[in-house]
Amino acid sequence: MENPEKPPLFATWKGWYLLVLAILLAEIVFFYLITKAFQ
Amino acid sequence: MRWEDWLVLIITLAGIIAYGIYRSASTRNLEGYFLSNREMPWYLVLLSVMGTQASAITFLSAPGQAYTDGMRFVQYYLGLPMAMIVISMGFLPIFHKLRLFTAYEFLEQRFDHKTRLFISFIFLLSRGLSTGISVYAPSIILSSLLGWNIYWTIVVMGGLLIIYTVSGGARAVAYTQQLQLIIVLGGMLVSGYTVVHMLPEGVGFRDALEISGSLGKMNVITSGFTEKGFDWTDRYNIFSGIIGGFFLALSYFGTDQSQVGRYLTASSIRESRMGLLMNGIVKIPMQFLILLIGVLVLAFYQFNPSPLFFNKAPIEKLRSSAYADSLRTLESKHEEVIGEKRHLVAALPGVLRSAETGMKDSLLGQLSALHEKENGMRREIRKMILANGARSEDNDTNYIFLRFVVDYLPVGLVGLLIAVIFLAAWGSIAAALNSLASSTMIDFHKRFSAAVRNDENDYRLSKLYTLGWGVFCIIVAQFATGMGSLIEAVNVLGSWFYGVMLGVFLVAFYLKHIRGNAVFWAAILGEVLVISMYWFTSVGWLWLNAVGAIAVVLLATILQFFFKESKT
Repeated sequence: MENPEKPPLFATWKGWYLLVLAILLAEIVFFYLITKAFQ
Repeated sequence: MRWEDWLVLIITLAGIIAYGIYRSASTRNLEGYFLSNREMPWYLVLLSVMGTQASAITFLSAPGQAYTDGMRFVQYYLGLPMAMIVISMGFLPIFHKLRLFTAYEFLEQRFDHKTRLFISFIFLLSRGLSTGISVYAPSIILSSLLGWNIYWTIVVMGGLLIIYTVSGGARAVAYTQQLQLIIVLGGMLVSGYTVVHMLPEGVGFRDALEISGSLGKMNVITSGFTEKGFDWTDRYNIFSGIIGGFFLALSYFGTDQSQVGRYLTASSIRESRMGLLMNGIVKIPMQFLILLIGVLVLAFYQFNPSPLFFNKAPIEKLRSSAYADSLRTLESKHEEVIGEKRHLVAALPGVLRSAETGMKDSLLGQLSALHEKENGMRREIRKMILANGARSEDNDTNYIFLRFVVDYLPVGLVGLLIAVIFLAAWGSIAAALNSLASSTMIDFHKRFSAAVRNDENDYRLSKLYTLGWGVFCIIVAQFATGMGSLIEAVNVLGSWFYGVMLGVFLVAFYLKHIRGNAVFWAAILGEVLVISMYWFTSVGWLWLNAVGAIAVVLLATILQFFFKESKT
């Protein structure tokens, strides 16, 4: 079911999926640190 | 509002309408009217998807939500990026391959016509009602600010946006959303900067966060666990956000035609994917910043007198009621608290950045105690409002940001912020009307009409359906006054239906052996289960999306054993 069209920046769409997940993880860590710092 | 604000407001709104009409030229057939000839680049898809989701409710309620309940509402969006990935991987290839107009067409190809009609009916019902609430949201601004009649305000407001939505279809919707979102985000950023700028000398951005943190509002991540274990009634925590939010976002973006219709306008599957994945990247930071404005406003109100209740209307009613004396007593107590606070915060700028943490902690602790006192008074006044018969007016969450804007922001910026609320509302309502019309036309009218129709007739009828739904939403808006926090009302309504819709699509995509009858009855039973759970249990509404989807998948699997039917 993979798109034959090549995505920008990465060789496959998996690169984009991993990037989105990595950013989500970074956001959760950032939010956790903010909560700790200001609570 | 001063004449300069009126000028900014009128020019902005008139400019958007004119731009919408200017961009209205589309091919006079269904593909041109509903899908903009499938020629949109990814960045327009992204702005359209964001503009559709972020309504006026988002910008009105979210800062108020942060002010009263803290930053934890942002967790509600944590499941969204994963949903974008799943849709990009599983849903998009099928939607694009079949060159669909609506997501529900696929259900007839995969199952049968009754499943398609049931799900598209659920969509029309839930989206029609929630769009009515979205029409109501900007209208309370005008009525509250200017004392205009709320019912006539709704009629006028809904009417203006219908002009370019009816004439221009999906193309006008996408182009105006692009401009609207730029103005909206710009306006919110300027307001956030202005709040910090208006803090007393010696109090900066970080200090404001520290003050709000001491009042318990920097609770961005919460676990939902108490001494008694996990609290299933807790609405916003990291688990309900990731799991419940994932199911909600998956069903909203994957099965709600108001969103599916946006990314089907893309010129290719690559452009659709990029639009959705970029939405997964930018949505959470955007929501975080909007909520942050709420906690900055809270910090601002520690140095400036805050209203006891942010909606003036029910307070005025109390003044001429049997509760007038109780109100006066409460107000004088509130004045005393404000006096104590003024005295306390005078010393705050000096100690916030000092190395003397004991002094700082003591001051912030006293401030927190006074804040609790104020909260107690707010609870008392809500009880009074309820006892006075104004059942629908006891929640002032939606008024907090707006009242701050009108009372404190400089001239010109007030007009811009009011325009921001209108534009945000129009962006999401316009997309909803377009999708309601497309589902009515494609899933019902063309499905049942035996007459041979040509492109010109279909195009004209589609415009009429758009107009009809606009009128319907205005009528619903007239009855939306008793719904408390609007952002929650819309999401609760969605959680009744979205889980079931998602369950049907998940079965369609991933359980190939299940056929029409099994999934249809599973959807009916799933809907009964979800609505029963909402009314008869106290389970947080975010969980209902997951319950609905899982129930449909399990029930369809079981029911398939009982239905011996030929392959559909």
